[in-house]
Amino acid sequence: MDLRDFVALYVTETREHLRLLDKALLAVERGEVEGAIDEAFRAAHTLKSLSATMGFRSAADQAHALEDRLHRVRTGELRVDADIIDSLLAAADDLGRVIDHAVATEEPRVDGWEGPDDEERGPFAVGASEPADGAQVESGPASAQPVDPDQVSVRVVLRSDAPVKAARAMLVVRAVEQRWRVARTEPAVFDDSFGGELRIMLDSSADRAELETAIRGAGEVELVIFEDAASARPLARAEQPVVEAPRVVQVRVDQRRLDEIADGIGELSLLERRLRRELGEKAGNVEAVGRLSALLSDLQHAVLSVRMVPLAEAFERFPRVVRDAARRADKEIEFRIEGEGIEIDRSILDDVVDPLIHLLRNAVDHGIEAEEERVAAGKPARGTIVLRAERARASVRIALEDDGRGVNRARVLEKARLAGLHAEADAAAHDDDALLRLMAHPGLSTSDEVTELSGRGVGMDVVLSRVRALGGAIDMRTEPGHGTTFTLRLPITLALARALLVRVDDEEYAVPLTHISEAIELDGAIERRNPGGEYVKLRDESLPLVRMTRVLGSRHVRTERAAIVAELGQRKIALGFDEIVGHEQILVKTFDAAAGTLPIFSGATLLADGRPALVLDPLSVI
Amino acid sequence: MAKTVLICDDALFMRTMLGDILRQAGFSVVGEAQSGSEAVQKYRELQPSLVTMDIVMPDMGGIDAVRAIMKEFPDAKILMCSAMGQQALVIEAIQAGARDFVVKPFQPSRVLEAVQRVLS
Repeated sequence: MDLRDFVALYVTETREHLRLLDKALLAVERGEVEGAIDEAFRAAHTLKSLSATMGFRSAADQAHALEDRLHRVRTGELRVDADIIDSLLAAADDLGRVIDHAVATEEPRVDGWEGPDDEERGPFAVGASEPADGAQVESGPASAQPVDPDQVSVRVVLRSDAPVKAARAMLVVRAVEQRWRVARTEPAVFDDSFGGELRIMLDSSADRAELETAIRGAGEVELVIFEDAASARPLARAEQPVVEAPRVVQVRVDQRRLDEIADGIGELSLLERRLRRELGEKAGNVEAVGRLSALLSDLQHAVLSVRMVPLAEAFERFPRVVRDAARRADKEIEFRIEGEGIEIDRSILDDVVDPLIHLLRNAVDHGIEAEEERVAAGKPARGTIVLRAERARASVRIALEDDGRGVNRARVLEKARLAGLHAEADAAAHDDDALLRLMAHPGLSTSDEVTELSGRGVGMDVVLSRVRALGGAIDMRTEPGHGTTFTLRLPITLALARALLVRVDDEEYAVPLTHISEAIELDGAIERRNPGGEYVKLRDESLPLVRMTRVLGSRHVRTERAAIVAELGQRKIALGFDEIVGHEQILVKTFDAAAGTLPIFSGATLLADGRPALVLDPLSVI
Repeated sequence: MAKTVLICDDALFMRTMLGDILRQAGFSVVGEAQSGSEAVQKYRELQPSLVTMDIVMPDMGGIDAVRAIMKEFPDAKILMCSAMGQQALVIEAIQAGARDFVVKPFQPSRVLEAVQRVLS
């Protein structure tokens, strides 16, 4: 058994248990001591066993020390307070680092680890100590029939995944029978209860090497063990499976491979649509093409679902982030997460984590006031931060809301004017969106109260640009004395996007639905205004109209007959096109636009009929 | 001279797939049969190096075909092809004289390993 094959699994499992350990320690701190301390202890214990099995001594020792301290908390010897929790959390972090270091630098080996006996702990011990390597525990006496020293006895274990083991066993025996005399076999007959292990007893001497070659030549043989009386042990039967109970094995996949697969499937689906159009009409093909479509659709869903992960995967580290920030800022904060089961493309989630952490730290540091200030204002002493996720049709909305003091608009405006940004400051005086853009202005985004936490290189400008780079948008609403809410709207997946197809002149463009709320007709609903600009009436709102014939430099202007409504936060605008042609799912290939290209395109795609089309980013038109 | 193979299965799809796997490994597919009786008849005509035989076929099943072929040609090298879950039939096929078996859905590598064992 080569332990190196297990390193990846070790990494996955230790990450999981470290996560559980963190979670349990936070629960202990919140006062749910009873179940939580046991969970924390079990997690530490498992981390110790895993590390010992891999022969990573330093990690096993570290885990053991942590396990010890948790045991003392369990018995009441160590009292729980914030400092103890701090120190336990820090020890858990250290353990994580030691494990990472071991994986990176040490060779795993089965040399067993002689640590203190679990039994020393008395009634709180986890259970009988486990063997260092998950070896099967020998039980019962050796086989009832002693093996004749003149007989050759060989135990054969078939591969666990060998199909129809009984038939395979027969082939093994037959292979042996061709050259040697077989006295008997155990079991004598191979039927449904055959578990994959058999014993062949020969009546003659045999060259071991030749015998083993003949046995393995029958196929699907895992082990060939020559036995003497001492080592003969009961054969596994079908009721006791030879291998351990199946466990969920996770694989770590290079994300680029998933991207390649998704790309390939995207291309396949374009081809399928072409085939459907060209071949589908012929009667004989309808069924086959239909099946192709269905299979491809299943495949697409399967691959996309591999890329999808629940938001919880990123969110679960946030309670710790908030807790640590709150401790350092000496504030009491309640943090809630809602909607963490919603799924989103892994690559989007990976990129949105840092911006969210920045916003969280900001909320703790600058949003929530100190206790006295809150009480004086008639607010509860504990601040509240809520992270709420919701699914919309073609997007995921993540809102981060705090009940703090709101953005200090006056200060932002002051700094802006000092930096010479007068027009922007004026715009931001009453408009939250303009205020956000101002806060993200490169010159202003790093606050002059750079705290250890917030000044970590991710300023507001980076937050905004990261979110935009994902095809998302961020919007802010703030009310002095009441709090601030940031709302991120993100596409669900980058691979395939649902898009509207629109036409200007004889060019078609694709517009992803992420930020589109609806499409409308433009007959007669346009209104001119002074100082300028056209507006479209939509129910009880008037939306500014942007004529795409003008933006795209079309020869025929003012030919728009339809518009799509794009939303950025609370603002809506109407983008006018000659026609809305339809909608389809597109695979967006982003590109680096050539010099001179309008900055309103986010990429290109191939339409169902094989023609290329540019992908329009509605937000960049705003 | 390339080894010759006779493929017996009542499904065109399976015959094609097996044929592809075997051709890529250098075999020459000299005949195909869609029933047990056709399998026996073609074996007499072609006497191939190897036969792949599906278990369930119309008009004389695969196992009966194996028996018939082995009776006339005791050295025949037959590889049984079984759908999953047909344990008892596979055992019967082995007892009837098939030299090895593979289970559908086929994994090309496993098929070729089994073919090697049958021919050696």
